[in-house]
Amino acid sequence: MLIVAVDIGGTFTDFLGYDTAGGRLFSSKAATTPAALERGICDCLEKAGVKAGTIDAFVHGSTIAINTVLERKGARTALVVTKGTRDVYKIGRGNRPDAYDIWFKRPEPLVPRHLTFEVEERLLATGEVHTALNPVQAESVAKRVSESGVEAVAVCFLHSWNNPVHESQMAVLLSSNPKIYCSISHEILREYGEYERISTTVLNSYIGPKVSGYLEGLERMLQNDGFGGKVWIMQSNGGVMSSSVARRLPVAMLESGPVGGFIAAARTGAALGYPNVIGFDMGGTTAKASPAPGGEPQISHGYYIGGYASGQPMMLPVVDTVEVGSGGGSIARVDHTGSLKVGPVSAGADPGPACYAKGGTEPTVTDANVVLGRIDPHRFLGGEMPLDVEAAGHAVKRSIARPLGLSVAEAAHAIIQIAVMNMSLAVRQVSTERGYDPRDFVMVSFGGAGPLHASEVARSLHIPLVVIPNFPGQFSASGMLMAEQRQDFVRTYYRRLDQADFEELARIFAEMEALARERIGHTDIRMQHFLEVRYAGQDFSLQVAVDGPLLGGRGSVGDAFQDLHQRRFGYHKAGSALEIVNARLAATAPPALRTLPAVPQCAGPTLLGTRAVIFQADAIDCPVYWRESLPPGERIEGPAVIQEYASTTLLFPQDRAEVTRTGELVIQVGDSE
Amino acid sequence: MTLDIVTLEVIRHVLPAIANEMSYVLQRTSHNMMIYEVRDYCCGLLDVKGRLLAQNVGGVSHFVANLGDVIRDGLDRYGEGGFHRGDVLITNHQRVAGQHLNNVLIYTPCFEGERLFGFAATRAHWMDVGGLSTGFGGANALDPWMEGLQLDQIKLYEAGTRDEKVWRLIGDNVRFPDASMGDLQSQIAANRLAERRIEEILQRYGRTTVEQAIERIFDQTEASCRAVVAELPDGDYEAHSLFAGSPLDGNRPVEINVRVTIRGSDMTIDLTQCSPQRRAPINARTQAAPMIAYKALTTPAEPINEGAFRALKIEIQEGNYMMATYPAAMASWGRTLPTVVDTIFLALEPALRGRLPAAHMGVLGGPVVFFGNDPRTNQPFVTQSIEGGGWGGRPTGDGESASVSVCQGDVRNAPIEKMELRWPILVRRRELRLDSGGAGQFRGGLGVETEVEGLVEGHWSLTDMGREAYPPWGIEGGKPGATSASLMKLPGEDAFKPVNLVRHLVPAGTAAVIATAGGGGWGDPFHRYPELVRQDVVDGYVSIQSAAVDYGVVIDPETLEIDVAATSASRTPPRPKLR
Repeated sequence: MLIVAVDIGGTFTDFLGYDTAGGRLFSSKAATTPAALERGICDCLEKAGVKAGTIDAFVHGSTIAINTVLERKGARTALVVTKGTRDVYKIGRGNRPDAYDIWFKRPEPLVPRHLTFEVEERLLATGEVHTALNPVQAESVAKRVSESGVEAVAVCFLHSWNNPVHESQMAVLLSSNPKIYCSISHEILREYGEYERISTTVLNSYIGPKVSGYLEGLERMLQNDGFGGKVWIMQSNGGVMSSSVARRLPVAMLESGPVGGFIAAARTGAALGYPNVIGFDMGGTTAKASPAPGGEPQISHGYYIGGYASGQPMMLPVVDTVEVGSGGGSIARVDHTGSLKVGPVSAGADPGPACYAKGGTEPTVTDANVVLGRIDPHRFLGGEMPLDVEAAGHAVKRSIARPLGLSVAEAAHAIIQIAVMNMSLAVRQVSTERGYDPRDFVMVSFGGAGPLHASEVARSLHIPLVVIPNFPGQFSASGMLMAEQRQDFVRTYYRRLDQADFEELARIFAEMEALARERIGHTDIRMQHFLEVRYAGQDFSLQVAVDGPLLGGRGSVGDAFQDLHQRRFGYHKAGSALEIVNARLAATAPPALRTLPAVPQCAGPTLLGTRAVIFQADAIDCPVYWRESLPPGERIEGPAVIQEYASTTLLFPQDRAEVTRTGELVIQVGDSE
Repeated sequence: MTLDIVTLEVIRHVLPAIANEMSYVLQRTSHNMMIYEVRDYCCGLLDVKGRLLAQNVGGVSHFVANLGDVIRDGLDRYGEGGFHRGDVLITNHQRVAGQHLNNVLIYTPCFEGERLFGFAATRAHWMDVGGLSTGFGGANALDPWMEGLQLDQIKLYEAGTRDEKVWRLIGDNVRFPDASMGDLQSQIAANRLAERRIEEILQRYGRTTVEQAIERIFDQTEASCRAVVAELPDGDYEAHSLFAGSPLDGNRPVEINVRVTIRGSDMTIDLTQCSPQRRAPINARTQAAPMIAYKALTTPAEPINEGAFRALKIEIQEGNYMMATYPAAMASWGRTLPTVVDTIFLALEPALRGRLPAAHMGVLGGPVVFFGNDPRTNQPFVTQSIEGGGWGGRPTGDGESASVSVCQGDVRNAPIEKMELRWPILVRRRELRLDSGGAGQFRGGLGVETEVEGLVEGHWSLTDMGREAYPPWGIEGGKPGATSASLMKLPGEDAFKPVNLVRHLVPAGTAAVIATAGGGGWGDPFHRYPELVRQDVVDGYVSIQSAAVDYGVVIDPETLEIDVAATSASRTPPRPKLR
């Protein structure tokens, strides 16, 4: 069987294929072609020598959904809501997270007010009908929507999370115009909180026509080339969905690209016997961290597209990541008070760092690495892109060293340390701040720049082990190859724990399970059940797993919650009343591939030579190894450099690396401070 | 270890990160909406002199940098040697704390080995502290005893041991002990976390290095602020505004008279001409308003520390309503502050030459306060939500609509579905108010109108939020925004009537409307592009009538197109631009 993964990012389209029969892995990379994304895919297939007709499963992640939102190039969309709530979407939560900013910008609705229509209907929080849907008025709204020239419509009525009856009636009326893409809130997100549910439903409609058109086009293109297999789409929750589900639920693929790497990180760690993993991804503009305790990537129930302060809320599950503006391209500068800042402004790919010699003049993290000898200017991207050492040194000197009265090397060293500090704060946020002890974790580090800085970041947080996986530069694609099918469901069930009706809960779970089977269409489905629980009166809840006999009943749910609260927040209140807020189901079907095979060792010299690298103050002559020819079991002591096509791993003095049976590098982080 | 540029940056980032982590714990575990939704709290780190090292981001800005007074008062009482590892102090006493009693401050000493390094502090709005009323502290309390339980620098824990008598005493004197004592535990948990983090930092970098870094950070922060003020022309700038008085005090308006002096990089904000202390509960002991204005003008995006205000001099005398002498009524202590901030901006308008927005809603939100006993559960309930209002037009565009005041940051309204799940009410509508944004070349943002029906008998507090008679002003020729309103309709009545009530008992089926003010306009509305006026009419933000009268843009009611000839006639002769 031939499984391939294609990950379309901002700059590159990555391809990774696996032939189960031959146990062979192959990869390629091509420039992303924003105007016609399919072309980048064709280029990749061609480069890798893969014919579409031979592919059995095509797994795909793409930035098309998120870019449609960020660039506001989605469909003209209408919104249908309960009478009295026309402005809820615009009003939002009324907050201004940047407290002292009097020039703040609130999230800009994707639907203008004149395309927002109210329907005479009302439910109570109990789900009872307070005012029945007025069929005549609703019909006239459907007609106005149809005549307004929109391509898409979203429907969100108050309390539809509890009783979808009116939304379903409205959906029928709107279906009289099948040309309009329609999203109904209870089918997207059955959770209370009308603003966030409206926003999520609108997003689905807003990107629906474009994304579903793209997916149809992609399948057609592959089929024209003889492809007869199945297309799977990577979702923000770290699992894949079939392309037919994706066409109805495109909002689930917003973070389709970046999460693949974190899935692969968790899987790689588990395969090596390290269940507690922190994934660390450092690219050109940002670094991201995500925890996977017990081998399970953590899931957040939503995020804000474009940032919390002015972003659109999207409340479907998304792999929990913390991002900071530190990447290879992050620009260093000295501000007017004489402090050194690194990022969040990035030189990006164009003009890029000064050493790219493409017109960039500001010093970046990559330039600092070049100055310190940590990046080999002649072997960058396998030597396809020689770097200008002098330009890097000049930029660091002019903007940092001179104003601060430092040597160029000292200035470069300071730039790296500040970038490392920023990244450490991100890793700290997903570890200590979530109640995890970093000493119990390994850090799986990937992205073009991740392996270069992993040891330093890990050391600053006392993380004892770092794993550099195979294909660190195409790691998202490898996560896609290994991703499970996954569907998440939520139902608000707001009740005191001691008054909860566990039979009703079982029915709710059964309904969600039925939906899961319908979407996944697979018999071997793992159903994970959760209840969100909190002390009565609290607002934020903790998720308690209730698998097995529901479930162990009230007592065990309560005990599990108390334990969690103690661990997360340092105290608990024995005997206090608890309440349930939501029931959640995560349904997964096993992937075709759980782990990637060993990467074959390439023939060739192991040791490429030596290079002078600055770690602290003085340059040390280090051996430089070629990763692809390192045999399993090989041990390397730091200081050393391990070079590969799209990345460089740096071992500090006292770091010790070993090549695993399957080709990963496991680094024992030394105490070289 | 000595201070190098990297260590300096680490400490610069780590201190606010600790304050933010405290905030995360407090918010996530709190038991009352004023904390988890309204974020009416702050978390700070202070040194042994009570200087602010860092404060969390977000939340309520009028908690800015005033923790130090309380810490210094505690140091006076106990002495540096009087604090021990594991102590927890509680205080809300208005003699020093100067806010309503609901704002309870918990602080704990942080040590490096056996040596006191500083304090972790959280100040949070408890749902109840006894007294006349729950929720917003008894809006008609005339003295601190009517307002509730007063706690003056009490040690709740001594060296890690809880004083059970004090604990019980507090629990017995608040209406919702589960909520208040739960919040107290959350506050302690947040402080404990900070104690550990501080000790880690001190062990890693050494106390001397950390202290050097702190001094440097203060100096740099001050320099950043000075650099902004130095750009402004020297001068004395004045502005005046009025704010609604209270029926308890003869409804005399509060006078807000501001004088700002700029000399080089020094700024003085003089509030000595504001009204003296009142019999109404608007008094406070706070410098928050000038600090917020200064912070917003100088370094809005930077973290807060002691250095952020060193180049600001505040003149405010004992006996001023913002520096009231104990005992004074302070239940609504923060009420006027957003308007004071706006008035400081208004004074500085000539110095900034058009680079400021017009006035905003000017009050601490439209509060939705309805409480009683829910017969369905036989439990008491208190509804709470803060509705935003309009912000002033800006020289770069229209003001934002439906947003909380300048004194509130990440303060969120309660979702309708959440309110109806928890409380016996029906929220009939939450809408933007037509024509509420002040007309201008750049229109003011719109206020919000929220209608709530009680499904059971209960008490409403529906007062003049402060801008029923004094609309948010426009600038540069812009018109004022719409005034705020509080309305009520009893069962059987057919129209809403304006009311001014505190804890007023009404039968089931009574509906209330909370309408917040719109923002003032920026610039002459006759200079607004007619197409923008037309779009506002199409979207229903501006009526056809207002388009014609206020903007001189004539729109055909049938086609919603601009009548070009009539518009041009109405805008002739063209009015000159002010700038």
